[in-house]
Amino acid sequence: MVDIIEISIVAVGTFLAMAMFSTLYGKSNPLYSLAEESYLGFGTGLTIVINVLYIWKTGVVNIQAGDWILTFGLILGLMILLRMNKNYNWIARLGIAVVLGAQFALSFRTLIFTNFIQQISATIVPLFTGTGTELLYRWTITICVIVMLTFFLYTTELKGPLLWSSKLGEYLLYIAFGAIFAQTFMGRLGLFTGFMQNYTVPPWQTPYLLASMIIVLAIVIILDRTKTIDKWIPEE
Amino acid sequence: MSEFLKSRTLQLIIMISAFLIVFVPYFTSIPELSTFSTKLITITAIANAFTLVLAVYSQFRRGINIVQKRRRGWYFKVWMMLSIVLMCIFALLGQDTGPYHWVMFAIINPLSSVNYGILAFYMASTCARAFRARNMKALFLLSAGIIVLLYQAPLTGAFFPGIQPIALYLNNTFAMAAARMFLISVTVGGIVFGVRVLLGQEPSVIGVGKEA
Amino acid sequence: MANNGGILKFMAEYDRRWIYLLIFVVVVAPLLQPLGFPISVSPDTEVYHKILADVKPGDKVLFTLDTEFSGYMEIQSGIIASMRILLNRGAKICVAVGHPEATSIPQLVFDACSAELTAGGYQYGRDYVNLGYILPNESAVAALAEDFHSTVRQDAKGASIAGTFLDDVKDWSSWALIADFTTGLGTAYLRAHFALRGTPMTVNVIGVMSPTERPFYDSGIYKAILNSMRGGAELEYLIGHPGPGMTAMDAFTLGHYLLIGFIIIGNIGYFGYSRRQAKKT
Repeated sequence: MVDIIEISIVAVGTFLAMAMFSTLYGKSNPLYSLAEESYLGFGTGLTIVINVLYIWKTGVVNIQAGDWILTFGLILGLMILLRMNKNYNWIARLGIAVVLGAQFALSFRTLIFTNFIQQISATIVPLFTGTGTELLYRWTITICVIVMLTFFLYTTELKGPLLWSSKLGEYLLYIAFGAIFAQTFMGRLGLFTGFMQNYTVPPWQTPYLLASMIIVLAIVIILDRTKTIDKWIPEE
Repeated sequence: MSEFLKSRTLQLIIMISAFLIVFVPYFTSIPELSTFSTKLITITAIANAFTLVLAVYSQFRRGINIVQKRRRGWYFKVWMMLSIVLMCIFALLGQDTGPYHWVMFAIINPLSSVNYGILAFYMASTCARAFRARNMKALFLLSAGIIVLLYQAPLTGAFFPGIQPIALYLNNTFAMAAARMFLISVTVGGIVFGVRVLLGQEPSVIGVGKEA
Repeated sequence: MANNGGILKFMAEYDRRWIYLLIFVVVVAPLLQPLGFPISVSPDTEVYHKILADVKPGDKVLFTLDTEFSGYMEIQSGIIASMRILLNRGAKICVAVGHPEATSIPQLVFDACSAELTAGGYQYGRDYVNLGYILPNESAVAALAEDFHSTVRQDAKGASIAGTFLDDVKDWSSWALIADFTTGLGTAYLRAHFALRGTPMTVNVIGVMSPTERPFYDSGIYKAILNSMRGGAELEYLIGHPGPGMTAMDAFTLGHYLLIGFIIIGNIGYFGYSRRQAKKT
């Protein structure tokens, strides 16, 4: 037996979701604006709540447990907030400098390995030993990485072998983009399918979904036909 | 003294010191240094969480400006600001049940899902209208795209297993090589940028003056 | 001839709202009335399944959800199927979340796997813990990797984690596996501060991230990669427990075929009408 709270969640959720989909009609409308501002507002509120809880659990609780040095985290955070004040925003820059310096160090000490050295070493692989399939894969990857890189060389004039390498790289990039586009579409379709599945399983939710679709479409068409669709939407 | 506190030099000294405190211990095995480094990392994690306040402040400032000037659709901004406050109040009433839980599942989750799900339509529309085999490069792109699309539909592989090796070859070589190439290039660019910031040649990053 | 011109012109210049409508219909209809298309399993999913199935009883697994709720809609099949495998293997599971919208997801996953939790005699605290939102940025992930207990003292509901299985966790080396479910940035931090140091890591990515994360799988940083909703459906098939992934594969299949159809129609319209019109002018 489904209770009234669950029904209200599904009814409001489907209505707002279809309101957001109403942008597909081709014109901005007040239902879309309602959905957009609701998401912005409640989403921001959620982020505030979760971050405050994080500061509490990681900062305050640990300080209460005796880790007093973390007080500097709260002080630095408050310093950063002074960015909002014209007279004292130089204090914020000191806090931002600490955070930036630490963040750069965290990135530098690992990105060099994961994104650079290990990627290059994974490209330089044995090209004359292995099975037929392995050799095909390895040669393709090695050639692709090298010629694709030459396509993006802008600091030197491309002539001779570099020019041919660049042209080959361009064609191979198009093959790569074709494959990447297909995977990107798979992701987007998956997002949409998953969302629809959420409101078709269990089946009692389907009438609310269909009703929301019809109601939202009807409202948008009526607003469009009566030429009032632009009257209530926020200014760009 | 106050001029020194406001100077770019001090900010650079602080930034480089913080950098070294976190960077150097990673490559050494001095326990005290590692502990101090970890503490600084935790401190910056906490400080980072405060930056959200700046984003909320600018949201409210913009919203109040629109409401004061009564620009078209100002009531939506009132609703937006009200919903921020309401969500914070609901959180105080409890997060597992009650209005917080209701808003989470009735408003935030569905709208978040649609936010990205709607891109499927735009992608399909763009593909249908822009993907034309006008020349050899476009033909290569289309061919690779269609082969991988066919493979990604699970039904195809069940009836035509031969498509799997071709599609996997395209994905695991060409696509991966392109991704690797971008990764290497972007990382080099990122490191160069980071070094420039540490040397004080990109002061705009910490909000000071012009570039060197 | 005029008739052909009409059809070809339509193929070249139809209103895009027909595309939107057809996508809606093609996705929703199979969800309402499943067609039962068969699916095939890719090598990536087989490797992923093997890595999870090799987890030993008592191994500590960090189950991270770096996903907005929209991403959960896509990869929920992989998340739930992975959790089932780990519960059946008797692993100790610590759930952590990297996005505010994902704070509601752990309970959904536990509810979906309630049968496995009961069958395995799982007890909260002794066998599994939900830490909630503890991965907001890179500094937080790095601190967690270097000194777990100086960063985390409470679970998602504010209860102390003292006395749970997490007492034995010191740093990155204490974890037998990181199972990451992601739509974004948090994965890069886990990769940099855990996987790079040697913690085995698997990822379940949304389709958009699949090409960008594959280089890390190829270079050995990730032990396995599960791709999008299809990977989740394949995993459900492998473990013999159909779920949301397999149910959605009919819609998934038809959606892909529809896009291919649009591309072909568009090209027929282009070569049969638009290009000729351009040549005439």
